[in-house]
Amino acid sequence: MADLVIRKLGKTYLDLYAGRHVTAVTDVSLEIHTGEFVSIVGPSGCGKTTLLNMVAGFVPPSVGEILLAGREVKGPGPDRGVVFQNFALFPWKTVLDNVAFGLKMRGLPREERQGIAREFVALVGLTGAEGRYPNELSGGMQQRVGVARALANNPDLLLMDEPFASVDAQTRMTLQEELTRIWEARHPTILFVTHDVDEAVFLSDRVIVLSRSPGTVRAEISITLPRPRSWSRMVEDNTFKALVARVLALVRDSNATGAAPAPESPRG
Amino acid sequence: MAGGHPGLKSFLPFVPIILLWAAIARSGIFPRVFFPGPWDVVASFANLIYKGILPDYLGDSIVRLVVGVGVGAVTGIPLGLLVGLSPMGYRFFWPLIVFFQAVGDIAWLPILLIWFGFGLTTMTFVIVYTVLFPVVLNTVLGVRSIPLEFIRAAQSLGAGRVRILHEVIVPGALPNIITGLRNGLGWGWRALIASEMIVGTSGVGFMMFDARRAGQVTEVLLGMILLGLLWYVVDGWILVPLEQATIERWGVVARLD
Repeated sequence: MADLVIRKLGKTYLDLYAGRHVTAVTDVSLEIHTGEFVSIVGPSGCGKTTLLNMVAGFVPPSVGEILLAGREVKGPGPDRGVVFQNFALFPWKTVLDNVAFGLKMRGLPREERQGIAREFVALVGLTGAEGRYPNELSGGMQQRVGVARALANNPDLLLMDEPFASVDAQTRMTLQEELTRIWEARHPTILFVTHDVDEAVFLSDRVIVLSRSPGTVRAEISITLPRPRSWSRMVEDNTFKALVARVLALVRDSNATGAAPAPESPRG
Repeated sequence: MAGGHPGLKSFLPFVPIILLWAAIARSGIFPRVFFPGPWDVVASFANLIYKGILPDYLGDSIVRLVVGVGVGAVTGIPLGLLVGLSPMGYRFFWPLIVFFQAVGDIAWLPILLIWFGFGLTTMTFVIVYTVLFPVVLNTVLGVRSIPLEFIRAAQSLGAGRVRILHEVIVPGALPNIITGLRNGLGWGWRALIASEMIVGTSGVGFMMFDARRAGQVTEVLLGMILLGLLWYVVDGWILVPLEQATIERWGVVARLD
């Protein structure tokens, strides 16, 4: 069963500074199956974040439709968990209360939601940090909390918007490996947006390349690399290297053949 | 910082001022009735406490301050949330807020005296009025400075409008709300003393003005010192602990020590 179906999706918005309409995304159709890990890559300004924001329900589409498990997406909801680039953890809540937030919104009693939250804190390797506040944690640890918070709410679909772009390179690789480990253990359906081709190939079952301005699907590449995946193995792996080269060529090509550089959509 | 008693450490900077004051008073440049020394003020303090006047007046001033700040906060915070969150609320209330803020507290006294006379109603009005604006303006600022992603995160975790209000908006705006209360308390304290001087029948401000009439310079000075000391207590015992328990813990502002 196709879990997420996007049909002929487009977004045009009024750029108040330029004083004209800008098409950020046009004619995007794709399907993501339950338990699949799909990444969207593309040059900056290709509308990939706009696409993710529409799926999240933060931004209404101009045309087309988004169906999740057969129901039309009409706004944000707990069936779609979101992991933000800047973490967006609530600074006034402890790690445990951040992770338990969605469960609290569902009305679970305190004991129960804290029990579940503890499991997810453990899943992301933060046992012992439950009582700490986000500002006391490193960026990498904060994003682990972000992942745990989204997963603890048991969403049908996990949306990740360049989640590892604001942590250092070493931490990023660790987080990528941990994400594949979590995905292999629990098989959440993930739509992952990134501009990092290595990251997309390393993590995904399928990589979708968006072309630049307006963003539309340029190519889809199946990533047939075996799992579990680790960086120590991948750096030596010729299939990995070939896939990265192929995706990179598509991204760069879409960059070069694009018309005049489009104004960036907000964090496009 | 090195150890030592915190109260003692904060007292240290005042030592040279007190010594200078004592030296000038001793030198006899000014007549002692107009320029009493620190020891005269301490004696007057002991005397007024003994007579029970000072505790009564202090109590009156503090109760007025607490009531004024309480009413100002209870009306100012919801109003600030409304103006900060609702475009309609903003369009309606913002011009009014800008206008009435400019009128100022003491400028209301003449008309208040005509309407309510010399007494508690007038003083309460002035202090609530003074507290209200910093609380409203800072609450609006706080609401508007909450990152959009906090709201989006809450929405995608299943929070509805009411939950977002008290789980995200209020705590998100709290650093600014505390700043507003702090400013309100500071301005309110000054407005209270000023209105006690003009319309009061009790309170620290009244005591100072009354002492002036009677030529009791020591009591005027005592009142001034008490104002400073009281603020020190309010700041150190209420405001600073409140900030430490909330916004410093969350890392919203840096600790200054």
